[in-house]
Amino acid sequence: MDNYRFKYFFKKRIQILFVFLIILLLIPLLKIFYLQIIQFDRFTALSKNNSIKIIPIPPKRGVILDRNNIILADNKLVHSLEIDRAFFSALPEIQLRLKDKLNIDIDIDIANKKISYLYENTVPISFNLSDEEIARFVAHQYLFPKLSIKQRFIRDYPQGKSSAHLIGFINRINDKDINFLEKENLTNRYLGSTHIGKSGTEKFYENLIHGTPGFKEIEVDAKQNVIRTLQEEKPIPGKAINLTIDYRLQKIAEKAFGEKKGALVAINPKNSEVLAYVSQPTFNPALFTNGISHEAWSNLNDKDSRAMLDRVVAGLYPPGSTLKPFVALAALKNDIRKPPFSIFDIGYFKMPRSSKVFRDWKRGGHGTVDMIKAIAVSCDTFFYGLGLELGIPKLNKVLDDFNFGKKTDIDIDGEKSGLIANKAWKKKKLNESWYAGETAITAIGQGFTLVTPLQLANATAKLANPSLSIKPHLLLSIDGIQQDKQEVIEKKQSYSDENLKWVKTGMVNVTKEGGTAAFLGRKSNYQMVSKTGTAQLFGLKIDEEYNEDILPDKLKDHALFITYAPAIDPEIVIAVIVENGGHGGSVAGPIAKKVLDAYLVNKKL
Amino acid sequence: MIKVLEKYKKRIDIPLLAITFFIMFLGLVTLSGSNLDTSHIIINQVINIFVGLIIFTILIFTNPRILFSYAPILFLITIFLLILVHFFGVESNGAKRWLAFGVFNLQPSELMKITLPLMIAWLYQQYQNKISLRLHFTAIFLICIPVYLVLLQPDLGTSIMIALSGFLIIFLAGISWRLIISSMLVAILSSPLIWINLHTYQKNRIINMLDPFVDPLGTGYHTIQSMIAIGSGGGFGKGWGEGSQTNLNFLPEANTDFIFAVYSEEFGFFGVTIIFALFLLLIFRIFILANNMQSTFSKLLTVSLGVSIFSAIFVNIAMISGLVPIVGLPLPFMSYGGTSMVVSLASIGIIMSLNNHKTLIAN
Repeated sequence: MDNYRFKYFFKKRIQILFVFLIILLLIPLLKIFYLQIIQFDRFTALSKNNSIKIIPIPPKRGVILDRNNIILADNKLVHSLEIDRAFFSALPEIQLRLKDKLNIDIDIDIANKKISYLYENTVPISFNLSDEEIARFVAHQYLFPKLSIKQRFIRDYPQGKSSAHLIGFINRINDKDINFLEKENLTNRYLGSTHIGKSGTEKFYENLIHGTPGFKEIEVDAKQNVIRTLQEEKPIPGKAINLTIDYRLQKIAEKAFGEKKGALVAINPKNSEVLAYVSQPTFNPALFTNGISHEAWSNLNDKDSRAMLDRVVAGLYPPGSTLKPFVALAALKNDIRKPPFSIFDIGYFKMPRSSKVFRDWKRGGHGTVDMIKAIAVSCDTFFYGLGLELGIPKLNKVLDDFNFGKKTDIDIDGEKSGLIANKAWKKKKLNESWYAGETAITAIGQGFTLVTPLQLANATAKLANPSLSIKPHLLLSIDGIQQDKQEVIEKKQSYSDENLKWVKTGMVNVTKEGGTAAFLGRKSNYQMVSKTGTAQLFGLKIDEEYNEDILPDKLKDHALFITYAPAIDPEIVIAVIVENGGHGGSVAGPIAKKVLDAYLVNKKL
Repeated sequence: MIKVLEKYKKRIDIPLLAITFFIMFLGLVTLSGSNLDTSHIIINQVINIFVGLIIFTILIFTNPRILFSYAPILFLITIFLLILVHFFGVESNGAKRWLAFGVFNLQPSELMKITLPLMIAWLYQQYQNKISLRLHFTAIFLICIPVYLVLLQPDLGTSIMIALSGFLIIFLAGISWRLIISSMLVAILSSPLIWINLHTYQKNRIINMLDPFVDPLGTGYHTIQSMIAIGSGGGFGKGWGEGSQTNLNFLPEANTDFIFAVYSEEFGFFGVTIIFALFLLLIFRIFILANNMQSTFSKLLTVSLGVSIFSAIFVNIAMISGLVPIVGLPLPFMSYGGTSMVVSLASIGIIMSLNNHKTLIAN
């Protein structure tokens, strides 16, 4: 092949080659045209998805206040020790070094947290550092370049252990909560939230105080570092709620209880506002905010003290003699034992057509006793016979009117309905028939009957104000706006003024000379309308005597006391139960009296 | 001084150099638009270009006769280096590709991209009057040696490139179409055999090319992010320095292998069309120069070097737009990196040197 021919040949081949290369280059050009022009929208969306994240901003939880704006629960700005999320895996080593070098302990349960604080550049590892520890850390921060101190809001309970059952607590959202939120379609409201109300008001009014999360649109890079905020919608904070509670009374009642176990409820009989709501012993709600240790939890659930039990609505007690005013009203309504009818009490009641004997609490008896005296001295003998003659159905009808045996529907979680027993119930539950003796002891508040302190207070409020038709409630206002009271729609029987007056007179006489709590009346500058009660925890054998001194504490009787005052135009109703307190008048009475004094006499304290 | 410049001016082909500079300029613009910390990258790249231009200048003043006479020796040396790689090469990612000389790493397979065309062009120049089937087979045999050695490393991408640059010369030297077609058939039929002998990571790359969205965070990640970058650029791009895929680090190797994706994201289809036109002009000018050259050696070597640059451009763009698997190949004149820049500029230098001495290699 000579040179000339080669040149010709070569020219042809590079022409072919050039055309081939143009065609070859057209392929990626077409592909890029497809990507950039035809699929532009899709890839723009993908590109935004890549880099733009929507981050929920949890709302600030609403504060809980008492009726005088004393703070029961709010949010506190705290210093938290935080770790750069990129170095999360180094945490065990950091934990050791913190302990070793600075003697600082950090929270143990950290695995969950990284998820809770998604899209935050740092994750808190401790909220509990003391000022001294913070100072120590800051001085040695160069040793821990991956840690920093930040400020965060955490739920705070300034009253400490006081009123814990009323306020309740919040805790981390768990699987159960997530299921619930999904079922209720509330998941969107909890985006970004780490905690939820678990008991008390914190739980019942979760809806109000939780708020609505805001959103932040942020740009992140491939390593999920936040580059900048594109737009932000502020969260709507939860509503502030005022409770009907008068924290001053709460505090006085708690102090009066001291180390004793039990409950106290105070209600305004004009509108059923709950003024005091005390359950003792109590717990520290702050313990739960960031997860409670196993040890602390088992302490709280100790069988003897049962600190977690909200005794006000979930404590079930035999009412003892505090039931007598209601039993009396049932008798009077059915025209039984109306004054001036009286009996002569010799200290016991003998069952008709039987050798069985029921003792009065007072040896030797009370002598001549009519309805008024029977209430004042709490004469058991009088009520045994009354009960037998009245019978369970008629008694239960009146107890039902006073809302015993069913929930009051108060606005707090975990309320129990108590128990008003009858023949059918006993058959079903115990498969036993009803004995006449059980009717007799039911009339003095023993037997199967179980009430909650709230039921007792609620029923007493109805005695104080028979026209009262509002449910007991704790919510006073939302963001300062007064709330409507919920009326009870149920139809009640009416009670004649005369009957009510006899019962009231008996109750007035409780704190007068000869009454079961006469000592309370001596020092009182207002008229109390009361009833003492002593609930036996174990059945005494016939003729066996109860001796307070030799019984172990936990088998001792419960002391009960119900009262309202003043006698004319009553302003406050109180029910007190002191577990294993012994006699009602002497143990529970003074606690109630202190609260009454505070409310009625030292109003401006 | 003016004389030197005059001399310099005579030795360069202004259109080719202008096109090259324009492409390098677009590369620098793209690099500097990134929000990432790039100041040292820009300085380094300017240094790379500077070094490349020094070599370019040396080459345009070099008589191509030297290249011609040393071609067989250069080829043998490179073969020797490839064998050395096999025994003493630095291993990384399961492949031996580099020879370490203290601070300086040499990749003999890159060298082979120039020395093999040199060798084959030399062969056809030497026997230009006796071109026969036997000569073609000799050429094929010479091509197979380095291709096999590079495959052993293993480096599929580079070995294909080397093979193409060699076969291209055989094609230009006038091998008959019948032979071309039949060898193509052999290649297609033997592809299953090649598949069996591929490494797992190479197979994965091919699978991912077919459907990158199957494993978006695994091996398909690079392809997807690069396609997102290109696609979201649209008709006129997000604007210089506004590429979110790049600046937020979603795009891997944004400065090196994936610089074209950055360019597409920021300048859109309009910018892509401009750069495609520049690439075509570059290759067109090289072909014009080759056509005007007198000796067989010059013609063959020039076209081969041009097509080498073109192949690198094509494979890089095809890889970034998701047409071929990710093979880790820089874009000539644009990607950040010394070797690629120096080799590309050296190729242009050799072409201009050949162009200056049209008649020096007399037939």
